Amino acid sequence: MSDLWGPVWLSLRLAGLTTLILLVLAMPLAWWLARTRNPIRPFIEALTALPLVLPPTVLGFYLLLLFSPDTPLGAGFLRLTGDTLAFSFAGLLVASVLYSLPFAVQPLQAAFHTIGHGTLEAAATLGAGRFDAFRSVALPLARRGVLTAAVLTFAHTLGEFGVVLMVGGSIPGKTRVISIEIYSAVETLDYQAAHLLSGGLLVFSFLVLTLVYILNRRGVHFGG
Amino acid sequence: MSFDLELDHPGFELRAAAEVPLRGITVISGASGSGKTTLLRALAGLEPGVRGPVRFGAEDWTGRPPKDRLVGFVFQDARLFRHLNVEGNLRYGAARRGTSEAVVQEVIDAFDLAPLLPRRTSALSGGEARRVALARAMASQPRILFLDEPMVGLDPARRAEVLPYITRAVDNFDLSVLYVSHSQFEMALLADRVYRMASGQLGSLQDGPPRFLLPVVAAAAGQMSFEIDGHRFTLQGDAAPGETWEIRPGHGCILSSEHPGRNTAAAVLPVTCLGADEAGRNQKVGIAGQSMDMEPAGGFEAGEKLWLICPRLRARHRGRSRHSPVTNRG
Repeated sequence: MSDLWGPVWLSLRLAGLTTLILLVLAMPLAWWLARTRNPIRPFIEALTALPLVLPPTVLGFYLLLLFSPDTPLGAGFLRLTGDTLAFSFAGLLVASVLYSLPFAVQPLQAAFHTIGHGTLEAAATLGAGRFDAFRSVALPLARRGVLTAAVLTFAHTLGEFGVVLMVGGSIPGKTRVISIEIYSAVETLDYQAAHLLSGGLLVFSFLVLTLVYILNRRGVHFGG
Repeated sequence: MSFDLELDHPGFELRAAAEVPLRGITVISGASGSGKTTLLRALAGLEPGVRGPVRFGAEDWTGRPPKDRLVGFVFQDARLFRHLNVEGNLRYGAARRGTSEAVVQEVIDAFDLAPLLPRRTSALSGGEARRVALARAMASQPRILFLDEPMVGLDPARRAEVLPYITRAVDNFDLSVLYVSHSQFEMALLADRVYRMASGQLGSLQDGPPRFLLPVVAAAAGQMSFEIDGHRFTLQGDAAPGETWEIRPGHGCILSSEHPGRNTAAAVLPVTCLGADEAGRNQKVGIAGQSMDMEPAGGFEAGEKLWLICPRLRARHRGRSRHSPVTNRG
């Protein structure tokens, strides 16, 4: 039983780091998407949303090719760390960040969009520069969106399977996350382990989604 | 403040050049869609794509970002920050412009905000929200105040509630104001001068609405008086004897052939009916040897002695931007 904690800890670490990285990356992207009138916006939006519709195997396949030591990225990583990106935790992290991108960007974009241009103009006339207005007005007003983005990204990363299997395989302690552990437990007919992990994930996901809906309902109430 | 601005949008072009005196209230008046708001936004640096110079006194504001223009902008829709309470809103600009605590307190007092400070902005009435927006702009210590239809969408009672605070902003803080409005009511009450705007073109400078000039005399310390046809009226304030003040009847005046009695809170001025103008749009009245256009009021004969009942009569010293309410001692 104690070896179930390995995959759980690995999953939590992956989901936590993915969430942190994605909040940093998605914040400026969502801000730009919510406010730009640039004609290339729909292309960027489509690109961001791709992971929603693509089979995880497609993303995994291309990432695997990209991570190969034959590409500049794969070779560079190998030279720096002595490890390949494919079948490593770092590779898993890159894949998770890309795969969960829409779950971070879309709630943020929606939240930034509802703030509206006018409130930021008011901040500007009161002496706030662009970054100041973002920090002191946009971010606090979008805090529910930030929370929703973080929660969804975390939960979605916890539940991913296809991309992880393609890019990371199933190396215990390195890439064998909860979903892979469940898969191999079922394959080896270890139903007790499968039950524990599946039940845990089910309850956790349900709680997380309930939290998101509660947040959003309050958001509507206050946002008017 | 001088500017010569051009802006081209599909189906709309702005052409506005003027030299606006930096005192009192300058109203920009025109139908909706005439470009009044766009002009204010352009002067505040909020409108992208504007060409041409903007100067404020000796400062060149051309191309400056909004935060460096020191304009206090009160938007039509108040635009309070929902995540801050009233005090947080008030202190937002104050903190960024380094306003001293004494001035912040002065603003709180002038706008009667003390009881509202801990309130959420969502708990404010429409009139209160405009008042907070006005105070928030004042607390950022602007060099000039831009008011974009600050009373639009308010019912008459709420307007009457907000209006004194606008004059207070001008009086207490000695600030010049650019005031965008299509309301005759607000113009009559507030304007020192008027620019009309139509289809994006700013017209030439015009004088404000009816007022007449009278010399005031000292009655007692802090009290001056003026006289019309033997009736004496008292001014509260620091007018010096012999100064010429302009008296504005403001909006809501009623012409009546009967005096409403001594108990009215309104000022009651003796006037002579001079008849309607050629177009029949205005009633001309004579007062203290001067003639004024009032709002239409029919049924009076030229030469008839009438009473002008003014609920909000105000006196104002030309050039020094000082106001005083007038008490009725007629």
